[in-house]
Amino acid sequence: MGSEARWSRHVPVIVSLLAGAAVWELAAYFTTRAFWAPLSETLGSLAESARSGVLMRQALSSFQLYLTGLALAILAGAPFGLLLARARTLRVAFENYIMMLYATPMVALIPFILSMMGFGFAPKVLVVFLFAVFPILYNTIEGARSIRPELIEVAHAFRSNELQLWRDVMIPYTLPFAMTGIRQAIARGLVGMVAAEFFLSPSGLGQMIMMGSQNFDTAGLLAAILLIVVLGVCLMDLGRYLERRFAPWRGYE
Amino acid sequence: MGTQQQVMLQRPVAGLTLGAKRVLASPLALKIGAGILLLLAWEGVVRAFAPAYVAKPIGIARVFFTVITNQAFLAAAGATLGAVVMGLAMAIMLGMAVGLAMGRVTLVERGLRYYVNSLFATPMIAILPLVTLWFGYNADARLAVIVFAAFFSIAVNTSDGARSVPLEYLEVARSFRARPLSTLLDIVLPSSLPYLIAGMRLAAGRALVGAVVAEFFISIPGLGYYILFNSRTFKHNEAFVAVIALVVVGVSFEAVLNWVTRRYLPWARRD
Repeated sequence: MGSEARWSRHVPVIVSLLAGAAVWELAAYFTTRAFWAPLSETLGSLAESARSGVLMRQALSSFQLYLTGLALAILAGAPFGLLLARARTLRVAFENYIMMLYATPMVALIPFILSMMGFGFAPKVLVVFLFAVFPILYNTIEGARSIRPELIEVAHAFRSNELQLWRDVMIPYTLPFAMTGIRQAIARGLVGMVAAEFFLSPSGLGQMIMMGSQNFDTAGLLAAILLIVVLGVCLMDLGRYLERRFAPWRGYE
Repeated sequence: MGTQQQVMLQRPVAGLTLGAKRVLASPLALKIGAGILLLLAWEGVVRAFAPAYVAKPIGIARVFFTVITNQAFLAAAGATLGAVVMGLAMAIMLGMAVGLAMGRVTLVERGLRYYVNSLFATPMIAILPLVTLWFGYNADARLAVIVFAAFFSIAVNTSDGARSVPLEYLEVARSFRARPLSTLLDIVLPSSLPYLIAGMRLAAGRALVGAVVAEFFISIPGLGYYILFNSRTFKHNEAFVAVIALVVVGVSFEAVLNWVTRRYLPWARRD
């Protein structure tokens, strides 16, 4: 029963993907080439850029930027968030400002970064970092806020020292929340990556999109967008996996 | 929870009889103190290490009132805000329709799930050049980017909400022979509202980002373009006022949503 049921569940999905592909292909014949390119041409353009090595080079450049920015955001955000989780005075002092920065649309800062730091690699990393770091901080603080004081009191009552308190209470308790933050950071960092590649020095997948639109190469443009879509889906799944992996002891959901 | 926390915060100083000490250690004083410290640090770092044109608190304060009473700035703010509100309204209507259909009709859900979920995960900045190909370099393209940016979070959340309607409610509706329309309006819609609100919160932030990015790209009047133009001409203080305006808009959306939830949907609070 199991395999048959699974098979019948997959049929509508396959049909929907095929229908989508057909709509994509046919849409091109009802519009001009400047608007839309058929799927076959888009995939052809993707294969062509893969063959010539452009795709590999641009994708690597994008990954390098994205991973550097995200890694810095995690390395800075998680420990600082944990510190704020433990030191209540610091947290009360700074949480509203972090919340404010969390709500700030970071794209708005790109022109400042451009005119202060110019066109190198560092300003682009800064953009990805700024996009990614505040969700981590914000969620870690949210987690810290929900640590029940009894837990810490019990730990104190059993004469835990600071190290044990961190290892056995603080980190296990706030980690799931930090993971929610990291999931958001993974998604926001991707937005930051594309924004940085558009508005600072063009590079990577962002440059591929830009070049497609400037050369009226709609197939190339769609191919690059398709890559970003696939990347976005994979990263979102990764984020969800990480969050679930660390969620079991979170106590809700 | 808020009051409980405040009580806990005040506990360490509760024993002190000196009023002044209590005020100094109160959360509000702490927050204001931290704010002043941050501003001082910003001012100091910029003065010490950055070129003169870089925005700093005193410079921003000096130009703040001339900027926010400036006609061009107000027009820019109005244009961005108008586009965001209109785009959000369109995205909410479309997203709710698609989300409800996906949540209640299996065929629609199976047909659209992959597309809606994938585009929900896509940074909508990426489609900006495509949108300008379709609509040209004008305000329509900005509106389209806002709608694209906001639509998918609404649709995904509404369909999650519509799917999570408690089965008993639907059974009761069926046993009372409710018409499909009243089942939809009286049962499905109210119980998916918490999800819709969560979707709107996400959508509002994305819409704002979409508007700013579109203005960078298309160079049409708005807060994003105001920032771009002024920072290119090294008027960072003026440009930063527009960033503050964006933060205020974002925070106000959040506040309005919270207020609406508390006032009209008290059962919908999910915190």
